[in-house]
Amino acid sequence: MDEIQGQMGRRAFVGWLRTGRSPAGRIDRVELKFNPWHDPDDGRFTFAGTGRRFGTGGADPADQISGRASGIFGRPSIGDRNRPRIPATPKVQAPRAQQRVGNDAGVIDRRPAIVPLKVVPGLRLVNQSNPVTEFVGGAGRELRDLANETVTGVRSALTTNPVTTVRNAALGIAGMIDAGIAADDVPARVQISRAADALANASARDIGRAGAYVVGNAALTLAPGAALSKVSALRGLRKARLRPTYDPPEIGWAKETLDRDKPWAAYNDAAPGAQAGQAPTLKRKLPNGLERAVKFDGVQGDYVIDRKWKIVDAPHARAQLLRQSEVLRRHNVIGTWEVPDQKQRMKALMLFKKMNVTNIKVRVVKP
Amino acid sequence: MIAMQVARIIANFVVFFELADDDIVDPDTAVKMMEDLGSGLDTLDKGFLRELVDAFAVIAEENSGEVQEVIRNIPYSFYLEEELAADDPVRLAELDAIREAKD
Repeated sequence: MDEIQGQMGRRAFVGWLRTGRSPAGRIDRVELKFNPWHDPDDGRFTFAGTGRRFGTGGADPADQISGRASGIFGRPSIGDRNRPRIPATPKVQAPRAQQRVGNDAGVIDRRPAIVPLKVVPGLRLVNQSNPVTEFVGGAGRELRDLANETVTGVRSALTTNPVTTVRNAALGIAGMIDAGIAADDVPARVQISRAADALANASARDIGRAGAYVVGNAALTLAPGAALSKVSALRGLRKARLRPTYDPPEIGWAKETLDRDKPWAAYNDAAPGAQAGQAPTLKRKLPNGLERAVKFDGVQGDYVIDRKWKIVDAPHARAQLLRQSEVLRRHNVIGTWEVPDQKQRMKALMLFKKMNVTNIKVRVVKP
Repeated sequence: MIAMQVARIIANFVVFFELADDDIVDPDTAVKMMEDLGSGLDTLDKGFLRELVDAFAVIAEENSGEVQEVIRNIPYSFYLEEELAADDPVRLAELDAIREAKD
């Protein structure tokens, strides 16, 4: 029984997504889907509970009074063209544009008059439940809730963590976005299927909420102007994937017999994880099968550090850069060059660009 | 005159470390020595450094092939022209453009 109802729910929602038509047999065929809530000032749609509700039949009551069914300027709406129209009966007296009197005669006042709604006998009450209304209402509510949760979450990640750092905030936001995008990765039909199964006896509102969750996840990642989109842009809207983990690099140590009294030697020895007179190394495989060590100056976690007192753009220096890049790639680690000032950093960046090296970063570390 | 002598010493030093085989000199150590030399050149008096830069061009002409190329490129490799133009942003921009075009 549950399975049958689940299938019906899925079919109904997929049908609504494709055609805009509500589940067959659940409502009359006068209107496909609509939002009865309008802003009385400009006629635009509003969220449920705000603005003014213009009946549940779907057509503009004013049009209905004048004998027109749904559609604009007397034409049938696109969805209605191929179907016979059912004559609409007047339901509710709606506010009409009024002709001003006096000095402004002839000027149409488009502000609606405050006219109490009149219920015509034999018609549904305006607050009566309508499956389509409920469906749309549920979808809208879910979208709004999802947006609220995300904005709250971003704000929380940025402000409430007592040890908030830029990195922590970024991780928190990234986690939320990953969750959102991961949800987007799941095919919509699967999500709807799950929702429909879980809500075998769900109302149209519930189905709407389930569908809107999927749409909302996708929409929020693209919402322009929102803080979320800015963070997402930083991540390039990448799909949420786990970064593969590798074993830590096998660091060797080689003896260095350089003059330790030089200022650059002291600078190199101050690198994180450095040992005086010893250089951390990574093994590089040569084309002939032999292995040779590539020297660095320090190690910090999975990062190997090479300190450069002065950037040199000579053949040996360029060859060293390529060696380091290759060995870092082989060991799946990222290298860092530490330089004493911004001038050297700019030179290093130019050298990286020239040599197409992307797995070494550079940062300024004052001596 | 002194500039020419010093330039010759520096040129020999650079040629050795640039052209020595990896089995003779550890390439990473060679780079360290070149970085040390470069930082030393940066601290020279600007007028003397100018004389050195001009001297490298003369010394390069006395050699040929790979050695000539290495000596001629000493100012480029150690950013010596940039060091001399440190207070002249227009000249620095020009040198950047030259370097970029050469690369």
